[in-house]
Amino acid sequence: MSQVVETESRASEADPSDVKGRSLTQIAWGRLRRDKTFIVSTIILAFFLLAAIFAPVITGFLGVDPYSLDPDVLDPAGGKPIGPWGGASWEHPLGVEWGTGRDIFARLIYGLRISLLIAFSATILVVILGTLFGIISGYARGWVDASIGRLMDLILAFPFFLIILALSGTMTQRLTDLGVPEGNASRITYLILVLGIFGWPYLARIVRGEVLSLREREFVESAVSLGASTPRILFREILPNLWAPILVYATLLLPVYVATEAVLSFLGVGVLPPDPSFGAMLGASTQYWTLVPSYLFIPGTLLVIIVVAFNLAGDSVRDALDPKAAKR
Amino acid sequence: MLKFRKGATLAIGVATGALVLAACGGSSSDGGDSSSSSSGGDSSSSSSSSDSSAPTPDDGQAGGTLSILTSAEQLLSLDPQVIYTGEDLAFLGATIMRSLTAYQVAPGDTEGTTLVPDMATDTGTVSNEGKTWSFTLRDGITWEDGSPVTCQDVAYGTSRQFDTGLAEGGPVYGVSYLDIPVDEEGNSAYAGPADGTGQELFDKAVTCDGNTITFNLNQPVPDFNYAVTLGFSAVPAGMATGEEYANKPMSNGPYKIAEYSKGAGGKLVLVRNEAWNKDSDPYRLALPDSWVIDFGIEETVGEQRVMQSSGDDAYAMVQSLTTAALPVVFEDPQYESRRIDAFDPYTIYAAVNAEKIPDEKCRQAIGVALDRDALLLNAGGTYAGELADGVVKPNIGIDYAPTGLWDGLLGQPVPGTGDPEFAKKLLAEGNNCPTEITVDYGQTEDNDKAVAIWVESLARAGITVKPNPIERGQYYGVVFKDGNEIMFGGWGPDWPNASTVIPPLFVQGWNLSKVDDKEFNKQVQAASVELDREKQATMWQELDKIAAQKMWTVPTRFGRDQRLAGTSVGPIFSWAAYGSYPYPIMYAAQ
Repeated sequence: MSQVVETESRASEADPSDVKGRSLTQIAWGRLRRDKTFIVSTIILAFFLLAAIFAPVITGFLGVDPYSLDPDVLDPAGGKPIGPWGGASWEHPLGVEWGTGRDIFARLIYGLRISLLIAFSATILVVILGTLFGIISGYARGWVDASIGRLMDLILAFPFFLIILALSGTMTQRLTDLGVPEGNASRITYLILVLGIFGWPYLARIVRGEVLSLREREFVESAVSLGASTPRILFREILPNLWAPILVYATLLLPVYVATEAVLSFLGVGVLPPDPSFGAMLGASTQYWTLVPSYLFIPGTLLVIIVVAFNLAGDSVRDALDPKAAKR
Repeated sequence: MLKFRKGATLAIGVATGALVLAACGGSSSDGGDSSSSSSGGDSSSSSSSSDSSAPTPDDGQAGGTLSILTSAEQLLSLDPQVIYTGEDLAFLGATIMRSLTAYQVAPGDTEGTTLVPDMATDTGTVSNEGKTWSFTLRDGITWEDGSPVTCQDVAYGTSRQFDTGLAEGGPVYGVSYLDIPVDEEGNSAYAGPADGTGQELFDKAVTCDGNTITFNLNQPVPDFNYAVTLGFSAVPAGMATGEEYANKPMSNGPYKIAEYSKGAGGKLVLVRNEAWNKDSDPYRLALPDSWVIDFGIEETVGEQRVMQSSGDDAYAMVQSLTTAALPVVFEDPQYESRRIDAFDPYTIYAAVNAEKIPDEKCRQAIGVALDRDALLLNAGGTYAGELADGVVKPNIGIDYAPTGLWDGLLGQPVPGTGDPEFAKKLLAEGNNCPTEITVDYGQTEDNDKAVAIWVESLARAGITVKPNPIERGQYYGVVFKDGNEIMFGGWGPDWPNASTVIPPLFVQGWNLSKVDDKEFNKQVQAASVELDREKQATMWQELDKIAAQKMWTVPTRFGRDQRLAGTSVGPIFSWAAYGSYPYPIMYAAQ
């Protein structure tokens, strides 16, 4: 972990009698281990994460797949699935899609895959960009700080949703021209890039604020007086002290992006058919939900569970890392 | 080509890609089930035919207000030279916009498409081997301000078709057929009444002699008297040069506009036109005292209101039903007397770009591999229609004959689910067949699923399909400019003659497939000018077969349409001419 903190912990190892000398990491971890909310939400998230990663294995085991059509389970007049709950059966555990007979369960976990891929990648991009610009901006002062500040203002002022919808076609094409494989690869890349590019200023502002106070601290001053290079100070001295706010921000950003991806798919700039996605499934459910409520409830409930679990986990991490929080 | 507007409302999955504004085509899901003709539910239009004459007005049924609940936010236009969707032509024609001829209002495919006189005293007199048509106006036809509707008004209305800025997207048969020279680029030498260039040419092509208007045509047009039902309606001469006329057109029908506000909560209110002279109009019964169209009512809300039919909603009707409402409406006998399930005018197809896939065998392979059954089921199964075997639909009348496309025309029968092995064989025989094709479609939930069926079923024959969703409002603009290999489309004839189907789809007008086949064009031209109707029908049947075999389109579905009216609305049947309610004879039961 952090340079500064580690030095302290080494000191504490040197003196085992001093039981109060725990590192921030240890304190946080200790708190998290005793936090039931955190444990439950982490287990749920791990479950969905594994389901997403091993989606092909699971669907293969159950003998379903998200693309194949099954007209036999549909009513020839109207295309409605035969049976309650969207035609749920042992063959199709969560029912089938109206009109095509594609398996809902398989589409759900494949959709989860794409959803989590986009959310994680975009979050990582935000963390990288936000941290980098935040540190530089906070430490540099002067015109560098000012210009990064104005750039952030500019990006925050952009009508983000409008841009993402309006530029979808042309930018996806541009990415294809740049060598990204056509189709979903370039559409997913586009979503990740846009979410990342329009998301980093929020984190950068938080980081900049932290850096402004950190750079006045003694350990930074001593590093400067010892003649350490600027990159070394930025990334070896200051950065390790920033990971707590960054981690908290990232855990809270993930669920936002899971939901955003669903919204964008709902609006039609998400993945292309026949690939599934939450947003598209929710969109398709609207015209049928009075007759087959499960179309709405299954993806809707899953989306809610994931977003809430991420949020609760993020809250717990924040509480655990907050030095001012009462020790439990 | 009646414009295909239904997509906006996503009735069944008929879904066209064509959003509100789409022109006639609708990209669609589609599909098929070869089974029998009339499907779940009572099919009013194809059923009876006993009562072929217009019902006599029952005095007890006059009065009241009928209302239409629609999710649309406005009518596309009220300008007689721009209106082009079947439903609008039927409704506005019944209320504020008379035309020279009109269709008999009666149940049945033949009865409902029989031409009868409206403003004219008869259905037209043809001379000069089909190149001259004249119509005589009845006496006593008036505008809402009391002034008479003259021959000059009809000529003026016709001349507005030449105003390209104004009539864009409207029916322009006048431009195609009137004897006015065109330059090399196909632009008419007459630029419309506002511009005035070439006015003398128009005045020579359309002449007035007292109450008689004469149209001189550039070729024999045996069915020109059908063409005058759309785009030839009168406009007071000298007024309304521009687009502003669409906001408050002058009525010459039994109703006039009292209020028109667009958007959610907006409405179009029509009240009685006191200047309308009943003696001049034997065609319209004009029973209700007023008509109201309520805009911006969500589809599911509108159909629920009509289903419950309480209070004023007993006099309400919806023009489409959502897929989810169909099982409810058609399985419950309480709706039996007020629901409609009938063929609409549209054939749903996928246009195959003949420029990108010039080899016939390659195009056939695509059609053969396609799972049309799945597409039909996705569109709504038997509610959505049945498998199509060509672009000409059976309810057009004598121009249809089974093409046998899927029954051996390609060398062997092709099941509705497609035949991957046969497709592979055709691909091998073809010259340089593409193994990867892109499918353009207007993005709707149903079309997203339809394209997934394309991906799945063509993959069985080793063809990779790349979906290309296009925003619905822009769909036709995009695919006409640079369409890919496959484009979803839908088409309905403008009148019961395949001359409004085959030439526009494969020669000029709505030629999504980018067909340019000299031999075929020659035969189409010959059929277009054939004066013997029986012989012409045989020629169209043959051409439909040729087009099917060459697979310029993969015809997937002959569409059906369902709707529901309130308990006090009558009569309830589908008017075959437009696939609409029989507006001119409707009443509010007292």
